[in-house]
Order: sequence, then C-alpha cells, then structure tokens
Amino acid sequence: MSPMLDIQLIAAVTAAACAIPGVFLVLRKMALISDAISHSILPGIVIGFFITHDLASPWLIIFAAFSGIITVVLVELIQKTGLVKEDTAIGLVFPALFSIGVILIAQNANDVHLDVDAVLLGDLVYAPFDRLMIDGADFGPKGLWTISITLVITLLFLLAFYKELKVSTFDVGLSSALGFSPVILHYGLMSVASVTTVAAFDAVGAILVVAMMIAPAAAAYLLTTDLRKMLVLSVLFGVGSAIGGYWFARWLDASISGSITTVLGILFLLIYLFAPSKGLIAVLFRQNRQRKEVSLLTFLLHLNNHDSENERRVAHLQEHINWRKVRANSVLQLAEKNNMITIDNQIVSLTDKGLEFTEKALDYIITNKDEKIEDMKDDFFLFRG
Amino acid sequence: MDITQYFTDYTLRTITLGTAVLGAICGMLGSFAVLRKQSLLGDAISHAALPGIAVAFLITGAKDSNVLLLGALVSGLIGVFWIRGITTKTHLKTDTALGLILSLFFGFGMLLLTYIQKQPNANQAGLDKYLFGQAATLVESDVLLMVTVTGISLLVMLLFWKEFKLLLFDKNYAMTLGFNTKFIDGLISFFIVLAIVIGLQTVGVVLMSAMLLAPAAAARQWTNRLSTMVILAAIFGAFSGVFGTAISASQNNLSTGPVIVLVAAVFVIVSFLFSPERGIIFKQIRLIKNRRDLQLKKTLYFMYDIVRDHDDISRPHAIRILNSFQGFTKKTLSKLEEKNWITIQGQNWSMTADGFETAANLYNNNIPES
Repeated sequence: MSPMLDIQLIAAVTAAACAIPGVFLVLRKMALISDAISHSILPGIVIGFFITHDLASPWLIIFAAFSGIITVVLVELIQKTGLVKEDTAIGLVFPALFSIGVILIAQNANDVHLDVDAVLLGDLVYAPFDRLMIDGADFGPKGLWTISITLVITLLFLLAFYKELKVSTFDVGLSSALGFSPVILHYGLMSVASVTTVAAFDAVGAILVVAMMIAPAAAAYLLTTDLRKMLVLSVLFGVGSAIGGYWFARWLDASISGSITTVLGILFLLIYLFAPSKGLIAVLFRQNRQRKEVSLLTFLLHLNNHDSENERRVAHLQEHINWRKVRANSVLQLAEKNNMITIDNQIVSLTDKGLEFTEKALDYIITNKDEKIEDMKDDFFLFRG
Repeated sequence: MDITQYFTDYTLRTITLGTAVLGAICGMLGSFAVLRKQSLLGDAISHAALPGIAVAFLITGAKDSNVLLLGALVSGLIGVFWIRGITTKTHLKTDTALGLILSLFFGFGMLLLTYIQKQPNANQAGLDKYLFGQAATLVESDVLLMVTVTGISLLVMLLFWKEFKLLLFDKNYAMTLGFNTKFIDGLISFFIVLAIVIGLQTVGVVLMSAMLLAPAAAARQWTNRLSTMVILAAIFGAFSGVFGTAISASQNNLSTGPVIVLVAAVFVIVSFLFSPERGIIFKQIRLIKNRRDLQLKKTLYFMYDIVRDHDDISRPHAIRILNSFQGFTKKTLSKLEEKNWITIQGQNWSMTADGFETAANLYNNNIPES
C-alpha cells in the first residue's frame, strides 16, 4: 500500500472511531470532557515513556488512558465538593495536568523524543512509516492497527450496550429504574472515550481528537433526532472530512490534521446555516414568520374589538397598536392580500373571512385547547404567500 | 541566581511585572466568567484566537505583536458570537458549542500556521510561541499594553459595577429594570476576550483558560462578596504570575506558562482545603463537631427519658444502664457534666434541673440553644 492510501485509511478509521463516542458525549452534554481528556493524557504519555523508554509501547496507551480516566474522576471529585461548578472543575483539572506534562517534557527535553507540537497536532505524515513487523513480514502501519482495534472495541461496546446507552442517555431515571446502572455505563463510556482519544491522539493530535469527536456528532444532531441515523451520519461526516481534509492538505502543503479540522469546520458551518428546520436560516425564517403572524393576529383582534369608524382609520391603528409605519404597513398589506380586510377610504374593516378567522383565534386563546391549534396551523400557513 | 539579581535584572523585572499584571487582570475578569458559569468560554476563546494571529500575519507579513493580538481579538470575538449563535438558535448545548469552536478554530489556526511555515518569508519563525506562550519575549511595550488594558477594564468595571453585579446574580431582574442586558453581556464577554488575548503571548493558547479560572475559583472560596472576590482573585493572579516567573527563572528548561498555571493550581488547592467557610477541612471539622453534638444530645435525651418517670429528677441512676447505642461514651458523660446538665457520683449519675429543662426543649426549635 502506498503511504498516501495509508494516511487516508488511518484518518478515516480514526474519524469513525471518534465519531461514535462523540455522539454520546454530545447528547449527554459532556462534549468538553473529550477536550479535558485529550489534554490531560499528556502526563500519562510522558510518564509511560519514562518507564518504558519506548514511544511505540502499548503501555503508553494504557498509561494515557488511565490518566484520562483520572481526569474524569478528579473532575467529578471536585464537583462533588460543591465548591465550584462542573465546568470550572473541568477547566481547573486539565490545564494543571497538561502543565505537568509540558514541564516533564521540557525538563527532559534532551533524552525525550517527544515534542509538544506533535502532541497537539500529531504527525499523520509519518504514521505510514512506523510499520508493524512480525517475523520480518510487513503488516501495515502500526497506527492503523491501533486505531482499528480501538474502533472494533468501540463498535462491540456500542452493539452490546446500545439499548442501555440509549436509555441512560435520554432518561437517567428510567435507566436506573430498569436496573442499568448509569454509573457503570458512564464510566464505561468515559473509558471508551479515553482509549479512543489516546489511540487517535497518537495519529492526529490532541485538538483534532476533540474536533473529530464533537463536530460530526453536532452536525448530525442538526439533521436528525434519531439516534441510529445520527450515529451513521456522524461516522459518514467524519470519514468524509478525513479524506477530504487529506486532499486539501496535499493541495495546500500544510498540516493534515489542521486541514481535516478545517474541512470539518466548513462542513459544520454549512449544516449550521442550511440544515432544514434546525439550521440558522430555517430558524430565522421561522421566527420571522411567527413574528409576522403574531402581528397579524394582534391586528385582526384589534379590529374585531373596535366597531366605530373613527377607531378603524389606518393612521389611528398605527398609533393604537404602537407599531412603526413600516411594520404597520406590511401587516396591513399582508392582511389585505389574504382577503382578511378591506380598506375603503382609509377605513379598515374586517371581511367575512377575517371575521371567521378572528373568532377562531379568539376561541383558541380562550379555551387554549390543542385540537383548535391544529386547525390554526393550517390557517397560518396561508400567510406565507 | 540570588535575590538582588532578581530585582536588578531588567529583563526579569519586565517579565515579572508583565506576568503580575496579566495575573491580576485575568483574576479580575475571570471572576465574572466563573460566576456566570462560563468557565470554559475562556478555553474556547483562547483557542479561537489562534487563526486570528495567523491571518493577521498573513495580511501584514509583519510580526508586530499589537497587530497580531488585534487579529486574535477579532477572531476571538467571532468565536464568542458563533458560540452564542449556536446555543441560542439551535438545540445544540453550550458544551457542544464550546468544544466545536475550540477545536475547529484551533485546527484552522494550525492549518494556517503550518501553511505560513512553508512560506519563504523568513519572518515567520516564532509564531508558534503563541501556542504555549513565551514570557521571555515580553518587552516593555508589551507590559505597557497590558497595563493600559488593565486600566481600561478596571475603569469600565467600576463604571458598570452595579450593572455587572446585577446581571451576574439575577439577569431577569436586570431585564425588568430596563437595563440593556444584551449590551452589558456583550461588554463582559468583550473584556474577557481582551484579557485572554493579552495573555496569549505569555501563557499561550492552551493554558490561558487556567489563568482565567484558577485565581477566581480560589478567591471564590474565601468570600461571598463580589467585590472582595474580584480583589482577591486579582491578588492571587498577580502572585501566581510573580511566583511562577521566579520559579521558572531559577531553573533551566522550565517554561513560564505551565509553571504559572501550576502555581495558580496550588492556590486553588490551598483554598479548597483551608478556606474557613467552604474549605474541605473546616467543613469536615464542622461535620464531626455536629455529629458529636448530636451524640451528646442523644445521650442526654435518653437520660431524660429515664428521669422523667420519676418524681425526683435528680435521683441517681447507674451509669451501667447507658450503652453506646445512645451515643454514650466516657467523653460524652464528662462533657455533659461539664455543661452542668448532670452530676456524677461514683458509678451513678443524676440529672440537674438545668439538664432536665434542656432535654425537654431539645426538639423544640423555638428555644435558642444554650
């Protein structure tokens, strides 16, 4: 296999392995734990290296994963004292651990081939050249093996505990009532997240791990609320961005992990803007429409309340509901376009249709029954024109 | 190096002054971040500032730190607004938004930095100091900038003190009073971003959030007053800066940023343990005291139960009939005697009138404790 293909494979598998725990972290509102873990595994790696003197040793992964779990435990311990809030606890723990790591590296800079830049960014470029050799036979890059095994473990965990994870994510109370211990699942998930972070971090660095965990899941969450679909989508997004990012980096001749993150960022931005019904544009459009509809309703109800011609002059209405001219005019036009009102010599009067609508609306407001609102929804769609 | 050199060495003095001012402003503004439960906003912003530095360099091609910091400020602010956009307009939660902005912006920044490194411009070296900070590169003009920013933010904080305080503790009330909460909110965020950007050169992107959080979290343990907390946090931050610089200067190969963070962490640990009101140790002591007090009263009440069936309350009873289930120990007995609730004669005890009355009112909360 060519190095090119190797890199893409490693990136893609890493993305898939990260996306799965990422979905649950996002849903459980623990996205920042991944950030904390990815930083605080540094001292674990450094200490592991001092003991084994081998950067490729599997012990390193174990040490690092262990320090990841210590982070989670420490955060929870601090939180339990009630002295500070959870986010402060996270913010206190990981910089401290990371600092210890950085100092340890700097103190032993001469005999450690461990660079802080590499920790943050990883060096995907060199990953294909560190190959797994057994009896002289070449089994492909080591990094690919590590991350593939992690992916398999993650998948097994997911398949075995899918139902439990789902329940405990969405309803902690129900899950403990059903006898699935949320604590065990929580630590299980944290361990998987830790191991994945460590394995991925080797290839892509601390920051990209966070991006690979959170961004695909967040983007998928904007498109669907079905857990299964969300998992599939985020894996797809992750893998797609990994491969896209690789080619982008080649074209730009810059850091692969930075470029993958950038592609993830662009992907998220696009989905954030254009996602149907949950994207920014859809939300703004909806809010605007709702605002218009409320104005229209207010206006019609006002008309309904005032019979005398004096109260129904256009100018007077503008003063009375306290709208500015532009808004008042747009509401007036909207109502007229929908045949709700007629304007005769600057006097506004409700048509039969407008009257019927107003009564319906009043009915709903008074009774506040849901079945009335269904009807109303249909009516409100009329005003989009 | 000896102490006199520490005060006479020009470079060291500049750096110490710089880190002290930085610590003070971070502590001051960090108090607001901590109380607003936005602790990790600082982390997100500091990472989000990185692409700004890179873009500023790409545009100007110069390494003037003021221009670079301006770029950092702009991209930090973009980050803040995007975070706000994500949390208010979509159903994604704050933590996801923070993590997203943090990693995406940082990744983009690293992409730009590596791209810049490949450029033939010889000027580019040293941009990566913003990752971990290099206090050693602080010069007088940087410190001057820090002092100016600190002065401005102090002024604004004093001007808007009432508004900030109100917004922190009761946003809805502030809104009903007619304050422009959006503006005040933006103002606080702006100054937090400013503090972070100022610190990037010294502490670096990655560790900046701790600078903001740690002094404030430590100060929070000692007081319930906002003004005291802000002042304390500023002092803690300044001392972290000074001590951190001193420690890192005294040894080779110790980068200043991480050391400052660790010193600040020590402040936090000490505060968590030893603060008289909230500290873990004193809390534990209070807990044990309460437990003892409860045991004492339990014993007393058990005695009262025996005594009240008799006409003469001070009739002696054998100590033997008490057992540890009623919270009885030798110590509690002597303590009860000390309080003049019982008297002990040999193997017997008898209740005093005082003790009888206390026991009778033990579960009556209206009587003030004796």
